[in-house]
Amino acid sequence: MTKIAALAALFLGASLLAPTAAFADTSISIAGSTALLPLVKDAAGIYQTMHPDVKISVSGGGSGTGIAQAAAKAIDIGDSDITAPNNPELHDNRVAVIGFAVVTNPSLGVKNLTKAQIQDIFTGKVSNWKEVGGPDQKIVVINRPRSSGTRAVFTKTLMGGKTVNEAGLTEDATGTVVSVVQTTPGAISYAAFSGTHGKGVSEVAIDGIAPTDDNVIDGKYPFWSYEHMFTQGAPTGEISRFIAFVQTRTDLLAKNGYIKISDMKVKESDR
Amino acid sequence: MAVVATVVPESRIVADAGVRRRRFIDGLATVILWGLGASVILMLAAFVIYLFYLGASAISWSFLTGSPQETTAGGGIGPEIYNSFYILVLTLIFTVPIALAAGVYLQEYAKPGLFRTIVQFSAESLATVPSIVMGLFGLLVFVYYFHWGFSALGGAVTLTLLNLPALMRVTQEALSSVPDSLREASMGLGATRWQTIYRTVLPSAIGRMTTGIVLIAGRIFGETAALIFTAGLSVSANHPYELNPMRSAETLAIHLWYTHSESIVPDVDRIGNGSALVLLVMVLIFNVSARVAGRALTKRFTGRSS
Amino acid sequence: MIAVQAKRSHTIERIAVWVLRAAAAFVIFAIAALLIYLCFEGTKTFTVDHLPVWQFLFTSDFDPTANKGGAAIFIVGTIVVTLFALCVGGPFGIAVGAFLSEIAPPRMAGILKPAIEVLVGIPSVVYGWLGLRLLVPFLREHTSSASGFGLAAAGIVLSIMILPTVISLSEDAFRSLPGALREGSMALGSTRWQTMVRVLLPSASSGLSVALILGMARAIGETLAVQMVLGNATQFASGLFAPTAALTTEIVIDMPGATQGSFLEHELFSMALFLLLLAMALILLVRFVLRKRV
Repeated sequence: MTKIAALAALFLGASLLAPTAAFADTSISIAGSTALLPLVKDAAGIYQTMHPDVKISVSGGGSGTGIAQAAAKAIDIGDSDITAPNNPELHDNRVAVIGFAVVTNPSLGVKNLTKAQIQDIFTGKVSNWKEVGGPDQKIVVINRPRSSGTRAVFTKTLMGGKTVNEAGLTEDATGTVVSVVQTTPGAISYAAFSGTHGKGVSEVAIDGIAPTDDNVIDGKYPFWSYEHMFTQGAPTGEISRFIAFVQTRTDLLAKNGYIKISDMKVKESDR
Repeated sequence: MAVVATVVPESRIVADAGVRRRRFIDGLATVILWGLGASVILMLAAFVIYLFYLGASAISWSFLTGSPQETTAGGGIGPEIYNSFYILVLTLIFTVPIALAAGVYLQEYAKPGLFRTIVQFSAESLATVPSIVMGLFGLLVFVYYFHWGFSALGGAVTLTLLNLPALMRVTQEALSSVPDSLREASMGLGATRWQTIYRTVLPSAIGRMTTGIVLIAGRIFGETAALIFTAGLSVSANHPYELNPMRSAETLAIHLWYTHSESIVPDVDRIGNGSALVLLVMVLIFNVSARVAGRALTKRFTGRSS
Repeated sequence: MIAVQAKRSHTIERIAVWVLRAAAAFVIFAIAALLIYLCFEGTKTFTVDHLPVWQFLFTSDFDPTANKGGAAIFIVGTIVVTLFALCVGGPFGIAVGAFLSEIAPPRMAGILKPAIEVLVGIPSVVYGWLGLRLLVPFLREHTSSASGFGLAAAGIVLSIMILPTVISLSEDAFRSLPGALREGSMALGSTRWQTMVRVLLPSASSGLSVALILGMARAIGETLAVQMVLGNATQFASGLFAPTAALTTEIVIDMPGATQGSFLEHELFSMALFLLLLAMALILLVRFVLRKRV
């Protein structure tokens, strides 16, 4: 009995002392938007190779999670596709622009939808694909959770003030959405270019404008947003260095499917 | 009462139609019930086989020891397995002493009265708390209020609260299985209550308790809802195999859920299938070891085989 | 010498008792802290955000960004999924419990009981994963469900998860019946089935009710497996195979993105409080049923 107690005490003691050994390492925790995730993950990998004494952990969870946890100081940086007007204490660091696409199951053969049609589908007014130029198939709407930044951008840029009908399925992240759309005939949803390009789903043109980076840059394609990295107050120390790194490594942007902010021919203040 | 039999001259008893029908129904019912019982076993077998079928191809040394990937294929579950064990051990370190002590008190010492009733009621109430509600409680207290952020420690304490009642029950049942004659003999030799418990009763009960503890450990290993909001969804930033309890610690069970619902890696299926299989195998190992260890310990400490 | 030894062991005895008592008291402290914290945070929807309680319970207008907090969809969702699971798993579980108690020979019981124990140990996520891989595609192909996700999927998965609880409690209920009941019935000429249905079932009714209630309690609190196959659509289930949402699934989906102090966060804690009260009510019901038994 006492031997076990001694071992347990040793274990706990060692574990409490261990972090002091790791004190030389700075650690940054990042979470949030799954649309921004590929870029941040890539940058973090390169940054850690350049600075071996810095450890960065990145995870998803959605823009809402990023904002909420940055505000609660549970993480250092919160990634988000949207601004955080309810949290003025968070400092907004814009790092890129990302386009989003409305995606459908490829078997439908639907290549273009007008804004009005998209609104009708997502408000539940239209429930069969044949009403919008597709085959006779029930429409399966897949939504994102309320805390999703992608959903907020969708509502703001495409829904024209109408409320999205909650009667669809709700799936959490870019990856899940894309895989459910792939396997469910009749499915439609929305996700970031970083998650949809080349992933086996049909990216729909909106009002005839194709979902490409060039169309976003020219401002012709409406469904896009800035990518934000939120910090508690202005970033300092290693955190500010990493954010600056992400902002300046524009080669990573292109590689992962994002757009340079400076390339944009249009600007929006509330995205 | 219907006539049961008709006596015929050759002394052959033949059942009448009513009895035949009742016997037929009885036979039919027996077959159906056997079928239902067998179907439970078959269902389990089907699950096990299917999980092996799905996940076997995903299992490799690199999968079991590699680090998870957020955006590219080829991720592994090494740190998650480590975290699952880490949180398990930490939780047991807290749960076992408290549950043991409380269980011993309730079973051996407490006189019927207000205190005892309240404790038992508290334990029962604690047992009914859904795991996600416990997770929210942990979020409130450890992540927000204590400002620990996501931590293995917060997760472990939350899990302690969740499993305390179960372990208490195991303790009480194990203790009650020890015959009173043992206690009386010990007291008769002049031992105090505590000495009796410590030297005689507990060793007798240790086999059954170990079985219970290992089974509960199996459940802790697979726990998710309580840990999502307390231990977090990512492995430690500092070092994937860290000893520090004050850092986020994604376990294997959480990783399976995270892979399904959050992940954007292209090989979601492979990782999910592999993780599910590893979890199943761990459950089977825990189950089997529970019995084996229990039997071995009972033999060693009491000379009986349970 | 003996006196010193005796004194020492008595001191140890006294310390031991106090340590044990403290551990028992900790349990009281734990549940009290939990209730207090949850009540505090869970009532903020009503005290801070001024949402009327009846609106929370009975309206289905749920839009946290517009401060609309009707949780009826989730409450109904939880109830409906639980009932589905109970209707499927309840009779099945009781039947297998009776089988174990009355019919199964020791060799069969020796395989079945460990199998049940393994089923209990399988984590919720693995059940969800199985549901995702096996059940959802099956439902998608063979029923009216467009995607396979929905009430039926969740209900079936849940019924399998509560089976072990219902089976073992039912078995206990049957086993605890005195043998005289069976013998008397058989002596009057009943078949075994007649005995089970006409004599044992009614006699064990309180124990079986407990089995069902505790199965229900387990189903209500189940989160992960349900969330993975329910579809999580914020609407009342329009049919047996339609997607809907439940209290637990809503909490696990929206909690990570809920900022501390926001309407949504308060709302989710209110849902958690509701779940807790519901679970405790079920346990009180169990105590009531047990007290009433003859």
